[in-house]
Amino acid sequence: MTKSNIAAFVAPNPIASTTSAVTIEKKPTYSIDVQNITVSFKTPKGIYTAIKDISLTVKKGEIVALIGHSGCGKSTLLGTISGMTQPTEGVVIANDKVVKGPGPDRGIVFQNYSLLPWLSVYKNIFEAVDSVLKGKSPSEKKAITETSLKMVNLWQHKDKLPSQLSGGMKQRVAIARAFAINPSILLLDEPFGALDALTKGTMHIELLKLWNLDNRNKTIVMVTHDIEEAIFLSDRVVVMNNGPAATIKEIVDVPLPRPRNKKDIVHDPRYIETHDKLMSLLFDKFSIDDIHMEE
Amino acid sequence: MKIKSLIFDVLYFIGSIAILLGIWQIITWVTKSEIPGPFKTLLVFGDMLKNPFYDNGPNDKGVGVQLISSIGRVFLGFLFGSLLAIPLGILMGSSKIGMRLINPIVQILRPVSPLAWFPLGLLAFKSAPSATVFVIFITSLWPTLINTAFGVSSIPQDHINVGKAYGFSKYKYITKILLPYALPHIITGLRLSIGVAWMVIVAGEMLSGGLGIGFFVWDSWNGGNLEKILCAILIIGIVGLLLDRAFSSLQNRLSYDKK
Repeated sequence: MTKSNIAAFVAPNPIASTTSAVTIEKKPTYSIDVQNITVSFKTPKGIYTAIKDISLTVKKGEIVALIGHSGCGKSTLLGTISGMTQPTEGVVIANDKVVKGPGPDRGIVFQNYSLLPWLSVYKNIFEAVDSVLKGKSPSEKKAITETSLKMVNLWQHKDKLPSQLSGGMKQRVAIARAFAINPSILLLDEPFGALDALTKGTMHIELLKLWNLDNRNKTIVMVTHDIEEAIFLSDRVVVMNNGPAATIKEIVDVPLPRPRNKKDIVHDPRYIETHDKLMSLLFDKFSIDDIHMEE
Repeated sequence: MKIKSLIFDVLYFIGSIAILLGIWQIITWVTKSEIPGPFKTLLVFGDMLKNPFYDNGPNDKGVGVQLISSIGRVFLGFLFGSLLAIPLGILMGSSKIGMRLINPIVQILRPVSPLAWFPLGLLAFKSAPSATVFVIFITSLWPTLINTAFGVSSIPQDHINVGKAYGFSKYKYITKILLPYALPHIITGLRLSIGVAWMVIVAGEMLSGGLGIGFFVWDSWNGGNLEKILCAILIIGIVGLLLDRAFSSLQNRLSYDKK
């Protein structure tokens, strides 16, 4: 008797929820919807939980930076969006689809460039284009490869091997490769971490240029440990707690209008305020005296 | 500068040969010419090279004929061995299950002396030359198999990630990532394999008889011609060196990071 009662009570619900205005309205507005993600790894010492119960939404065309100390699980979080890492609990929805693995709608730029050392610059991009854009003709694929290499000013280096390029040039190839397959979401895992400060600055501007060329339609999520980089590039900065079982500490909005000028914004009071806020979120102790007291 | 270093290379080489000939001569003196000296041997060598390809029936053939027959067998066995070892190595290297299933077999069979397989080869092929090829086949399996498996299993995660992120098909993954990465390892395996195969062929042909450089050595021993044996040793050494050099230049040409 109770069983049938429950059934009668529950039955109308699924219909109600699928037709309810909330879910339909909510989904298309987000490019990425991370829902209660937990990632645990099996290690010889037991189960290690890298990130715990993280939820995050990113709008289309938004640039979001994930920042935190090393080992805080920011790359793991990015991995669940790219599909390289499977979450233990929770789901990630990207472009209205549940992420089950890497896909051509999400371009990835890795920290160590990840170019194939035996392929020329041109081939590195072409093979990715050839693999992802299956419907295109060979000449179209060649044209796309050419355009993307010209976009990052590396066309004259197209026949070189990655080992013949500088770090900045390698990363430009990697970014050109990610842009070539025209993904709606771009995921960058500490993309400029291995570059010197000057090259880094140029690369920031290059990245924004590419994003602008595409009418700011691409959603970009990047992992970084550089506060200046995070502020200059992103609309919102997600500050993460230290792991294990890392969570989001706070999400800080960057109230700076675009286009941003690298030289000018550092004097903007809003920049300074955001910078200070991020500093105090990331570092609990500021003064050197603290260290002396510990000794 | 380059010419200078080339001259030094040549001088050192001549020096090295002089040391070898010196030791040889001393041994000849010590054994009271029971072991022929370099001069006498080289005279016989010159004679052999005058007409290396003569053929006076089954028991009297020139050293060139013997050598070509041996090289042919080595390459045939080596070819069959590599054709099995490379795919099997890729399977072992790319799949944990494959590794766990095949590795114990490899560990048991690898230490077996190649010559122990000779009777099985005779039984299977009913002919001594085929049995020799079979022995070479078994010999050249292991270094190639193990090196290929190692190469494939050590592909860096970065390279694998590229394939995953850009949805490479199996075919693209194998041709653009797996093989280019593993190729230097595979060629190292092939180089080791051909080296061992060349050592084993001499022993194999001593057992099989009929034709080949190994048979030539044994035949010369039975004929009491020690000079010929020493010549054969020199030839075996030089051919072995050339084979090794050929694979080493192949290795240099095909490894991506050397360019």
